[in-house]
Amino acid sequence: MKEKKLKSAKAARTRNNILIHILLAVLAFIWVFPVLWVIMTSFRAEKGSYISTFFPKAYTLDNYIKLFTDTTILNFPKMFVNTLIIAIFSCLLTTFFQLSASFCLSRMRFKMRKPYMNMAMILGLFPGFMSMVAVYFILKAVGLTEGNLIRFALILCYSGGAALSFQIAKGFFDTTPYAIDEAAMLDGCTRWQVFTKITLPLSKPIVIYTVLTAFIGPWVDFIFAKVICRANADQYTVAIGLWRMLEKEYIDNWYTSFAAGAVLISIPIAILFLKLQKYYVNGTAGAVKG
Amino acid sequence: MSKRPKRLLALLLIALLLLGVTGCGGGESGGTDGAEDIRLLVWAPSEDQAQASGEWLQTCCENFAAQHPEWNITFNYGVADEATSASTVAYDPEDSADVFMYANDNITVLTDAKALAKIGGKYADQIKSFTSEALVDSVSLDGYLYGVPYTTNTWYMFYDKSVFTEEDVKSLEAMLAKGKVAFPFTNSWYLPAFYVGNGCTLFGNANQEDLGVDFGGDNAVEVTDYLIDLVNNPNFVVDADGAGMAGLRDGSIHAIFTGSWDAPSIKEILGDNMGAAAPPTYTLNGETKQMLAYAGSKAIGVNAHSENMVAAVELAIYLGSAEAQKLHYDLRSTIPSNTELMTHEDIAADPVVIAQNDTFDRTSILQPTVSAMGNCWTPVENMGKAIRNGTTTHDNAAEQTRGMNEAMNSNGIS
Repeated sequence: MKEKKLKSAKAARTRNNILIHILLAVLAFIWVFPVLWVIMTSFRAEKGSYISTFFPKAYTLDNYIKLFTDTTILNFPKMFVNTLIIAIFSCLLTTFFQLSASFCLSRMRFKMRKPYMNMAMILGLFPGFMSMVAVYFILKAVGLTEGNLIRFALILCYSGGAALSFQIAKGFFDTTPYAIDEAAMLDGCTRWQVFTKITLPLSKPIVIYTVLTAFIGPWVDFIFAKVICRANADQYTVAIGLWRMLEKEYIDNWYTSFAAGAVLISIPIAILFLKLQKYYVNGTAGAVKG
Repeated sequence: MSKRPKRLLALLLIALLLLGVTGCGGGESGGTDGAEDIRLLVWAPSEDQAQASGEWLQTCCENFAAQHPEWNITFNYGVADEATSASTVAYDPEDSADVFMYANDNITVLTDAKALAKIGGKYADQIKSFTSEALVDSVSLDGYLYGVPYTTNTWYMFYDKSVFTEEDVKSLEAMLAKGKVAFPFTNSWYLPAFYVGNGCTLFGNANQEDLGVDFGGDNAVEVTDYLIDLVNNPNFVVDADGAGMAGLRDGSIHAIFTGSWDAPSIKEILGDNMGAAAPPTYTLNGETKQMLAYAGSKAIGVNAHSENMVAAVELAIYLGSAEAQKLHYDLRSTIPSNTELMTHEDIAADPVVIAQNDTFDRTSILQPTVSAMGNCWTPVENMGKAIRNGTTTHDNAAEQTRGMNEAMNSNGIS
């Protein structure tokens, strides 16, 4: 009797586990499906933008080759390099601005601290692209909308507002005890040294998070790039290039290459994430005893 | 200490940024031969400038410069295709190209931004001398001419000659009896052809905004009823997301409706069997009605803020001239509109040119350019989708059609 009951509990658990795993498998499939579909389309040999079968009838690498060789109309390699330069520099600047502002607001007490935080909160409620035409005219007035300066203008656009989005990093810095800072200062550290030698190493997860978001922002942005690049095709970023591939004149020829481009642009982000994710775990583990 | 390298690194990064920035800046070349130095910024689609398609724009601009020794012209080129150039120019006309290309349905966007120069006097006469009246009208507003039209912009039918005869393609019913026909039913650039064909009007078909849209009468309801039956015809395919082209490729579809931009792909698929014709007639309650496509034009516009107005206007006229249009046709198969070129033997024998011109002259209406036209797209698209999905039926066709008409006459706010 007793054994039977035990057995049935075990059976019930197995049954539940099976059900849960089936559900998870279905959800995982639904989630992965679009990604898988884009990857398969990027290897599809049939032309055109419409497919009647889920699996391509034939596979090819031509879509990728076309992206890098057929550059007279849509110069993908150039766009890729443009975007990479812009994203790397904006990422560095944004990370620096954002972490510095967060550190100041977390560790220092000054008169404008509260007003600044309130102002940032209110400004943060408005979407960034609301200001894009104004930003364009300001950049034009300074003379940054011509030639290679467009890259610089875009870097400014993407990193300029960084100090306003300090909330998450500041919240994280707040959890590091101030006692650690005091101990460092007693040992002769300056504020800058506390920031670089104490706070940042203890806050790896948030640094990584900041770097990732700061990189992805400019990497995928379309609106600002479109408004500022205008007719300067040599300054286009990948987002504009991919969008153009889907216009009615190009879609029939470029659709599969569009998918190939979509796969390619995910690579730098994936590398960055894989390289950085091991730091997600650490943080303040073992910093303060007792 | 390790803080110094880091500071150095930061400095280095800033220096790099600044370096990357100061690399450019043009020098003015001094004219020694008495010619006036001028700069012209020209925007055109990227294919017009690509080496692979023969650098039409550069060739034409150099020819133009050679014809005008009185100017020492430096050309700068930018990329803006006809469909989107208007919005790019409109938000900053002062810093836009002197000469650019636009699709005429955007003309009000440009005139509202005061970006287009009015062309008058001898230049207007020159343009009118090689352009048909309908085409001149397509880029005129309130009696002023706003550009040099260089091609028509409309859609028509491409079909497989091994399936349909030239007699068949005159009637949609005859075609549906013999083969599969795909039509972009849920695209509001195409669907109104049936309504307009049965006497529905948009702004009096003459750009009179106060007349509004008349898509709600009994004649419109008849068309809705006809379309419901059409969608249920097993030989009729709703073309969306490239389904028509894919069907043509695998042989399951024998005719599609599209424009000259798809002609090279279709030529590749059908080869010598490619036929092109104006939209066919359809039979509504026993009567034969002609489908009427929206037609427009693409034109070369001159920026009202250009500093070298005379040169810019003359360049625009040159780019629309017979010589430039012929080159455009040879290099990129852009359908010419110049009346002098129509007698040219290559051009006169091209089925796509014939179909496009026939459509423009006979089976189309000028697509309204008034800004209220902006309210007309979504309701028609929704009607197409509702019929396809079966939510519009013979029972509620009248009500749904009137709903569409109401939406087309309203901007959704007031």
